[in-house]
Order: sequence, then structure tokens, then C-alpha cells
Amino acid sequence: MNEKDEALRELLRRAAPCPADRKLKRDLWPEMRRCLERPPVPIPWGDWAIAATLLVCLLLFPKAIPAVLYLL
Amino acid sequence: MVGIVEPELERFTRGDIQAFEALFREYQGEIYGWIIRIVHDPGVSEDLTIETLWRIYRARARFDPCRSFGAWARRIATNVALEHLSRRRPEKSLDDTAPIRAPVTGTPDPAVTADVSAKVLAALDELPAKLRITVRLAMIEERPYAEIADALGLSTNGVKTRVFRAIRLLRKNLEKRGVRP
Repeated sequence: MNEKDEALRELLRRAAPCPADRKLKRDLWPEMRRCLERPPVPIPWGDWAIAATLLVCLLLFPKAIPAVLYLL
Repeated sequence: MVGIVEPELERFTRGDIQAFEALFREYQGEIYGWIIRIVHDPGVSEDLTIETLWRIYRARARFDPCRSFGAWARRIATNVALEHLSRRRPEKSLDDTAPIRAPVTGTPDPAVTADVSAKVLAALDELPAKLRITVRLAMIEERPYAEIADALGLSTNGVKTRVFRAIRLLRKNLEKRGVRP
């Protein structure tokens, strides 16, 4: 880095100083535990219906597959 | 990065909650310490640490126990922080000369006026997230390029290129605001 870059670095460090304390203040495991125990969100029946309709359409009109892939 | 033996990593990849808890407690501080370097906000860093470890747990089957867990965790943490920076709107008002409060606990140097600091922060916020993260790690935190390259999944030369591009863009952004470092 040249002198101009060093000046920029100094400006950045003064404008956006690093937080002095970087130690984690508390144990995050209890929150993680809650995430792990949360039941998985079920997929709405409407989404299954759309997927099934799309699949049926593609089986009936296989020529549409490249167009669908392009749109995806 | 010591203390975790390989069998524990193997049990983790098989979904053993106790092994994951041991890893969680071992690495949560280190992951938090890395994320806070990037986002500079203790509250957000805690949330992103949990998000990182949640992703780690979900991706456990893809982890190779022979490799370094710490390096893998750091890369995922970097991606999570990068997504956060990409989502976050720049903290600036329509008038760039209005002072912007930096989300940090440290006190800015009194020699630099609040106005200049606000302009520097606004110029930094204007950078694309990928360049912003590189500037924060390379220029503010002064982390070694090899470490940044590992965390971002780039080569060392790739990091150098990003730093170069970031500096060029940052200067342009600052000049627009009448600041010439």
C-alpha cells in the first residue's frame, strides 16, 4: 500500500472504529436449542397442488419442458 | 481452534446433538468475534452467530471430519455476514452531510470531524457488499490476505484485486462528497 492508501486506511479506521469489546457476553446455546426443538414448518397444501399440476402439465406437454426450464 | 477431537466431529456429522452442543460452545465465541469484525454491531453479531451455527448444523452431512471445523465455520459465518450486509440498506440520509451515527461502541478520533466521518461511512456503505466486507477485513481490521481469502473462498490474488477495486471505488465515492484522503 502506498502513502495515499495508508491515509485512506487511517480515515476509515477513525470513521468506523472496530468495537473495542469483541467477547461474546452470553451463552447462545439456549437460543440454538429452541431453534432445534422448533417443529419444521409444513409445506402448505396449495404448494403441493401447484407442484402436482405443473408435473401433470409437463407430462402431458413435454415440449414445454425447455420453455419452463428457461423461465426458471 | 483446539480441543475438538475427530470422533466428536464424526458424531456431529451423524446428527448427534451432544456433539453439536460441544462444538457450539467451543466455537460460538470465535464465530461471534469474526462476525463482529465485519458487521460492527454486537446485537446483530449475536443473531448472525446463531444463524451461522444453525446453517452449520443443517449442513452437517456435507462436512468432512478430516478438515478444519474452524475454517469451515468461518467461511459460513462470512457468507452469513455478507448476506446481512447485502440486505441492509445503507445508513445514510438523503443529505450526505448529515451526521450518521456509526453502530460501534468505540469513540471516533476527535481530530476527525463528525462530518468527515459521516461522509466516509456513507462512501463505505455505498460499496457493493463484497467490496465492503473486503475493506472492513483488510483495511480496518488489517487481517492477513490469506485469512481473508480463506474466509471468502478466494485466492490471495483475488483478495488483492478486490482491495484494489474497493480502494478505487471508495476514493471515487469520497471525491463525490468532497473528501480527498
